[in-house]
Amino acid sequence: MNIQLMNDLAINDLSIHAADGTIVSNVSLSLGRGRPLTLLGESGSGKSLVAQAIMGNLPAGVHATGRVLFKGLDLLAEPAAERRQRWGRSIGLLPQEPWLALDPTMRVGPQVAEVHRYVKGKTVNDSLAATSQNLAEVSLSQAEALYPFQISGGMGQRVAIAMADAADTELLIADEPTKGLDAALRDSVAARLKCEVEAGRLLLTITHDVAVARALGGTIGVMLEGRLVEYGPAETLLEKPEHAYTKALLAAEPSQWEKRTRPSSGKTVVAAQALEKRYGDRVLFSGFDVAIAAGEIVSIVGPSGCGKTTIGNILLGLTTPDAGAVVRDTVLSSLRFQKLYQDPPAAFAPHQTIRRGLKDLARLHGKDWTKIEALCGRLRLQDALLDRLPGQVSGGELQRFALLRALLLDPAFLFADEATSRLDPVSQQDVITFLQEIVEETGLAVLLVTHDRDLAEKVSTRLIELGGFQGKST
Amino acid sequence: MSTVDQTYQRPKRGLGTTRLAGAGLLIFLGGFAIIGPAVIPFDPAAQDFGASLAPIGGDYLLGADHYGRSLLARLAHGARLSFGMAFLTMLAAAIPGVLFGLIAAWRGGWTERGFEFVATIVLALPGLMLVLLLLAFSPGNYGPLFLGLALTLWVEFYRVTKATTKTILSQPHIEAARMLGFGSRYILTHYVVPVITPMISTLAAFAMATAIIAVSTLSAISVGLQPPTPELGSMIVELLPYFAEAPMHVLLPAALIFLLVLALQLLAQGERA
Amino acid sequence: MAIKNFLLARLLQAGIVAIVVGALCFVLMRVLPGDAAMRIAAGRYGPDARIADAAEKVRLELGLDRPIAVQFIEWLGSLARFDLGHSLVTGRAVAHELQVQLGASVWLAVAALMLSLLIGPIVGLFGGLRPGGTADRVGLLGAVTFRAIPPFVLGLILMLVFSRQLGWLPPAGFGSPREILLPALTLALGLAAMSSRVTRNAVAAVARAPYFAFARYKGLPEAVVVRRHGLRNAAIPVVSYLGLQAIYLIEGVVVVESLFAYPGIGHALVHAIVERDVPMVQGTALAMGLMFVAIAAIVDLVTLWLDPRMRKIA
Repeated sequence: MNIQLMNDLAINDLSIHAADGTIVSNVSLSLGRGRPLTLLGESGSGKSLVAQAIMGNLPAGVHATGRVLFKGLDLLAEPAAERRQRWGRSIGLLPQEPWLALDPTMRVGPQVAEVHRYVKGKTVNDSLAATSQNLAEVSLSQAEALYPFQISGGMGQRVAIAMADAADTELLIADEPTKGLDAALRDSVAARLKCEVEAGRLLLTITHDVAVARALGGTIGVMLEGRLVEYGPAETLLEKPEHAYTKALLAAEPSQWEKRTRPSSGKTVVAAQALEKRYGDRVLFSGFDVAIAAGEIVSIVGPSGCGKTTIGNILLGLTTPDAGAVVRDTVLSSLRFQKLYQDPPAAFAPHQTIRRGLKDLARLHGKDWTKIEALCGRLRLQDALLDRLPGQVSGGELQRFALLRALLLDPAFLFADEATSRLDPVSQQDVITFLQEIVEETGLAVLLVTHDRDLAEKVSTRLIELGGFQGKST
Repeated sequence: MSTVDQTYQRPKRGLGTTRLAGAGLLIFLGGFAIIGPAVIPFDPAAQDFGASLAPIGGDYLLGADHYGRSLLARLAHGARLSFGMAFLTMLAAAIPGVLFGLIAAWRGGWTERGFEFVATIVLALPGLMLVLLLLAFSPGNYGPLFLGLALTLWVEFYRVTKATTKTILSQPHIEAARMLGFGSRYILTHYVVPVITPMISTLAAFAMATAIIAVSTLSAISVGLQPPTPELGSMIVELLPYFAEAPMHVLLPAALIFLLVLALQLLAQGERA
Repeated sequence: MAIKNFLLARLLQAGIVAIVVGALCFVLMRVLPGDAAMRIAAGRYGPDARIADAAEKVRLELGLDRPIAVQFIEWLGSLARFDLGHSLVTGRAVAHELQVQLGASVWLAVAALMLSLLIGPIVGLFGGLRPGGTADRVGLLGAVTFRAIPPFVLGLILMLVFSRQLGWLPPAGFGSPREILLPALTLALGLAAMSSRVTRNAVAAVARAPYFAFARYKGLPEAVVVRRHGLRNAAIPVVSYLGLQAIYLIEGVVVVESLFAYPGIGHALVHAIVERDVPMVQGTALAMGLMFVAIAAIVDLVTLWLDPRMRKIA
């Protein structure tokens, strides 16, 4: 009874059922004022369904059982119309990928103002004034007259927060609020969510990102395959995880990795001097020097749009610099310079089975299939995966196939362009570990481009910071 | 809120059944058009005034027209004409269209700009207007009709091929393939052709439907093919004055055009219809 | 800025239309069998007592070894001055004939477009609100059927049903709304067959769109959600599709006018082609082509007004 009073939102024995079975089973959670709740899990773990059950927007054909008590009232017992009445009034939603949740044909201002006008019932003038204030609070005053296609992802996220502020609901559900944002923006969003908690709002956050959960504190629930496998205060859970999955999840975070770098004494494979690249009037970088030696992992870190991928492409000869020169070790065939891509499915022809692609590659270069089989074993890729299309295997597996494909050509230099940013933490660790082993064995030179500073610090011999500040031309 | 697994979305229904129906209808009509003229023992031009407007199901299976010509034979020859004309026009449009599209996407630069300029000129006027203007040179002949239709239809093949190929060539997997040592020939045959082939087939079916409509329409407004050619459109107009006595005779060629176009469109668009 | 670019592109298109039509007619005038000089003289000055003198003048002109390019530029020059010459058949000024016919054709096109907008988007709306439902299936069946019927067959069927069988409407002629109804309906059904599916897909896409769902999560009442976030977004593809439909409309006008003996430009064009009346072919083709460009330009403007993203692209 005591616990019930303390909890403004209590979920008891929530299960979610689809036509072909139960997809979320027996989840019990609670959250209160000043004690946000974060649901952590990978996609398909059912965490978004739990949020949808609370919000009351489960997809057609899916229904929830159990109890969702919001200030003592069971939401699941309420008829749909009544639940919809709560939207924007007592329960608010911070959408994932807000740039998709904004009406593409309406300016930002009116999209915030309509909350005041049509939900709060204010007059037109009051709504406009309140809107200006909401936008000013997230430092977006200048964006009021812009259309969604004219603002960046980070600004879109702030517009969504301004809308949530305008609605000022008691409970705020944030659904993957950092999806598609880089590390710096992710931290700023987490900080803003924390402000919401301090302002006395109830916050439920759905995320796959341990860093977000850590930043928010409060209570954490870890979900796996539709079950809540671990649940407890953030400090305890993050320090002393009990469930094997939580342990793996936390260990896979780059900041928890063991630092494993090796100084290299090999000769330089590729070097560049005084590189400069501009897009129109904007100078991405200038006077950039880099040299990468065999057996070395060099990282370039920096925010999105700072030109770090461009540098890698220049080293590979895929992009021409506006100034400066690239020197490659001349004895090496150009085939020994390879690249791993950010989005693994985009790096494979979508209609060609992986086996076919590898067979053609082996035939082209006169390699033996046994070499591919050996690499498959090495990279823990099962034979059955070979007969699938690239879209039918997971991102982590596909990135390992990309690595295999490159290794078949005995590469001297590999450019890994955000190669693990779209993978879940465990797959990310797998791919990076394989890469490190190969570097140690073969003396491969690697250029790692990433926005994840922790990752870069743990694995690279040298770390180059490419700041946005260089990019501004004045 | 998304993150709902694929399994909870409603499965697509009827995928392919529309296409199948179109293909079935097309095979049936194609058989009639190709085999019909060979096996039907009547000359489509042979007149028999005694049998003028003979009813359906009598001496003549589908009756006879006002000159007493076998309607069945005329329909079969008309179908062959429409079908053959449409097929040849489609080929004459598709081959250069696809070729130019590939070249423009591959080469880019001035080559592409040149093709774009020609396409812009052709598209400045509605297609039928261009055909009409060419027909003014020699009304009632196959030549300008064929040329005009091919001239207007190639653009669509060109544009789709160019746009798709450009998109494919700009994708990372092409860059990856080049770095892995694959040549242009491999990229063309393994990465570009498999993607554009279904699109080109769809366009081909649409182009044939357009050609069938255009030929019959132009003949019906007496600038296309002229009687006594057994052309479906002109047959309708020829028989129209006798609608009161023999309504079915007028509707038969109309129904045949409708079915031909319907079959091609069903085949082309499948579930997107 | 964007508006200017779009209009410039359409102006360029109008120029291309004039050159293509002018060039084809220029060649046509010279390749037709018979006395080209006489024909050109009649086309230029109209038939009168001194036609023979004029023909002699033209013959001299042609015989003066003037390069074909100069003659062609002169031909285009008179086109640019809207000097369209005289009909070879009636002898009247082409511009004069066009004035009357243009009005009739514009009325037909406008009536057809309005009728189609009454049918297509409404059928599409019901289909798109419940994809896969009965309304959607019926709409699909109708769209597939009407799209497979060539306009002249559809026109004949309507004529047979409404004027011959039922006797409700006149089968041909011009002057009252009763006469415009059948040809306009013929075109409208074909247009609606296409626009209904575009509307249906647009409505279904908006209903699925994350911004539409989010408008609800914001707490907006359903009517506000539809009014502020549904209509404009669903209208954009429908309106831009009208640009493509302009082709069908213009082609249809030619066909349907001929079929219903409706005294518009399309009818005149087909007549002129049959009679080899080159100045009339040129004048009518030019008018139809420019009408096509005008429709496309209007569609551009409406799209620009509806979709702010287009203002960026230009």
